Amino acid sequence: MLFRKEYEKNVKFTFRGGTHLNEHKDTAGLATVRLPEPKTVSIPLSQPIGAHATPVVAVGDRVLVGQVIGVVESGLGCPVHASVSGTVKEIVTKNNAQGVPIRNIVIENDGERTLHESVKAWEKPLEETTPEEIVEIVRQAGISGLGGATFPTYAKLQSAIGKVDTVIINCAECEPYITANHRLLLERSYTVISGLEIVMHALSVNEGIIAVEDNKPDAIALLQKAVEGKPRLRVCVLKTKYPQGDERQIIYAIKRREIPAGKLPADVGCVVINAETSSAICRAFYRGVPLVSRIVTVTGDCIKEPKNVRAPLGASYADLVEFCGGLVKPPKKIVSGGPMMGQAQWDINAPVVKGTSALLFFSEEYDKINTYHSACIHCGNCVAHCPMHLMPNYLTQYAQARQYDEAAKMNVMSCVECGTCTYNCPAGVQIVQYIRVAKGALRMKK
Amino acid sequence: MDQNQNVTVTAPELLTVSPSPHARRHVTTASVMKDVLIALLPATVWGIYLFGIRAAITLLLCVVSSVVFELLTQLVLRRTVTVADCSAAVTGLLLGLNLPPTVPFYVPIVGSAFAIIVVKQLFGGIGKNVMNPALAARVFLMMAWTGQMTVFPAAYDRVGFGVDAVASATPLVALKQGVLPEAGLADLFLGRVGGCIGEVSVLMLLIGGIYLLVRRVIAWHIPVAFLGTVAILTLLFPQGEIPPLTFMLTSLCSGGLVLGAFFMATDYVTSPVTPVGRLIFGVGCGALVVFLRYFSGYNEGVSFAILIMNALVWYLDMCTKPRVFGKKRREKKA
Repeated sequence: MLFRKEYEKNVKFTFRGGTHLNEHKDTAGLATVRLPEPKTVSIPLSQPIGAHATPVVAVGDRVLVGQVIGVVESGLGCPVHASVSGTVKEIVTKNNAQGVPIRNIVIENDGERTLHESVKAWEKPLEETTPEEIVEIVRQAGISGLGGATFPTYAKLQSAIGKVDTVIINCAECEPYITANHRLLLERSYTVISGLEIVMHALSVNEGIIAVEDNKPDAIALLQKAVEGKPRLRVCVLKTKYPQGDERQIIYAIKRREIPAGKLPADVGCVVINAETSSAICRAFYRGVPLVSRIVTVTGDCIKEPKNVRAPLGASYADLVEFCGGLVKPPKKIVSGGPMMGQAQWDINAPVVKGTSALLFFSEEYDKINTYHSACIHCGNCVAHCPMHLMPNYLTQYAQARQYDEAAKMNVMSCVECGTCTYNCPAGVQIVQYIRVAKGALRMKK
Repeated sequence: MDQNQNVTVTAPELLTVSPSPHARRHVTTASVMKDVLIALLPATVWGIYLFGIRAAITLLLCVVSSVVFELLTQLVLRRTVTVADCSAAVTGLLLGLNLPPTVPFYVPIVGSAFAIIVVKQLFGGIGKNVMNPALAARVFLMMAWTGQMTVFPAAYDRVGFGVDAVASATPLVALKQGVLPEAGLADLFLGRVGGCIGEVSVLMLLIGGIYLLVRRVIAWHIPVAFLGTVAILTLLFPQGEIPPLTFMLTSLCSGGLVLGAFFMATDYVTSPVTPVGRLIFGVGCGALVVFLRYFSGYNEGVSFAILIMNALVWYLDMCTKPRVFGKKRREKKA
């Protein structure tokens, strides 16, 4: 055991496939700053995954930070909280990034950040708390996976109770530009670690791993010091390679366990939780604060002063841009999340949501390379770099020929749409997009 | 927005909403093709130095006519014009390097037309051709003008215009008869022998090949498997009374083997994409080269070997599919 610990201090965990991207982590040295109180926040009553919430406040009501303003009556989903204190101005229906109409509660901010009375620490110590109680605390705090997929964390924990032996905190942050997790580790690593301990207690697990890519040596040193004297915890250093932060790749890299197609991490005895999610669990447990803010890396070649911003949920992109000194060039593309899997946005007044790990503002010049398209030259780069070991070039050909069944035979449904193939394609073929078309057609058929 | 700055945020309707990923590696088809051209430069320069102005004109004719034919075909067929990606120039240069310097000037032009129009564009353009255009054109020219295509001037015989060169026996002819060629191993390696313009100097070709490997334009699998197979087979089965090791090294350094292994067999379009497929492809090419050199009517077998393996690329890819993450190698049929 001792030998293994020594060995793992030096080894760098990795997986087969993937690619080393141009990192652009220029904001890593910038401390997180709090966004000045925005005039209004617009909180959508749905997050990307889960049922829509029903509002429980009316126009004109006074709300406080942490107060529940929307509840989910049935199905998957967590309550929605007010992220600022103030008055409910209106409840409007707006289209979200995907063009789906969603009800938003607009709160006029009084700037006082008064806490609601429900915000108080859990009354029992961690040792006496039952797993069910922890799951309920996480649900009441409205915590979703903050890595970008925003799967409700309580559901993840609930389904994993009794099935897992390892909890992995995902601090890989393999997408370029984003430094939100890196800053969190440097500034609040204790919250990440105590969040991990809460999850380990809930799942009665004895092995907690904090997995960090080797491009964050300062965070690794800090964490290694922090886990000293905690025999159940250890830090694993991952090789910097995209998509190392994918659950499948991180579990395989560290535990050499492959999640079978169509199964979940819990089926191979692992739970993977994002670093910021872990920090949110800690805050919810020890201070009772629900998830009302998150760190957003605001950068891109159009931003004057890139920053890591702690923004209340519901603040508009425009508020963040203004805080970052405005734009130096007109943006051609606004991406929420990383450049590899993030979504292009169409509205600069859209609100920050739980999945907004970064806001990237790219100029026309930057985006030019994405407009180059020609025919596949069969170079095999996509095959060499696919983390799922697919043959994206042939999947694309089948999708182009609309032979979706043939694509299914070549396991098109296993694609995780990480974008590594398109990134490496010299011909500029929109490989991922063709694969999405094939997957969509196959899903329709079922 | 910030009033102090004279920059405005563009209106939402001007934002591009496209699917992810929003980042790209700055490698394009054109940059890959330019790398191949750079890698062929040493061999080209050596060929011109060895065979004189006539070689330069032959190469120039090949490159220019290939580009022109590509442009014309694409204009006539109303396809997107893609001559800027340099792939036609690469095909032209490779064809030129595979021609003897003494060929009449219509031969490179007809060869380029065959390579670009018939082998490449009629099959659908870049990425769609089944066979390597330069090699297919070379074989076509060999069939059409066997006489002109098999006359090679001696090294440093800088042939002028309209003068018939004095034919010199190539090393492969000697090897086939079971005797060592006149030129020594060092001459073969450095390229002081007669032959096609670009195939003579193993050293210059290796420099280009290593450049491609270092730039990660090509993977090591095909050249290593190709040359390795030829090396093993010639070592095991030497011909005549030649010592095995000498026979092996002479075989490796003669003919278009190195040019074929680094520049022709590794052509993306006509080689497999999986590592295992590439190894099998290379071994197949190597075995066929030795077989053809030993038993066929031709002295040279590289072109035919690669063309035959080109036809098998699809099957090699399908037989060597990597195991998909999270799946068993052989899924039970539902």
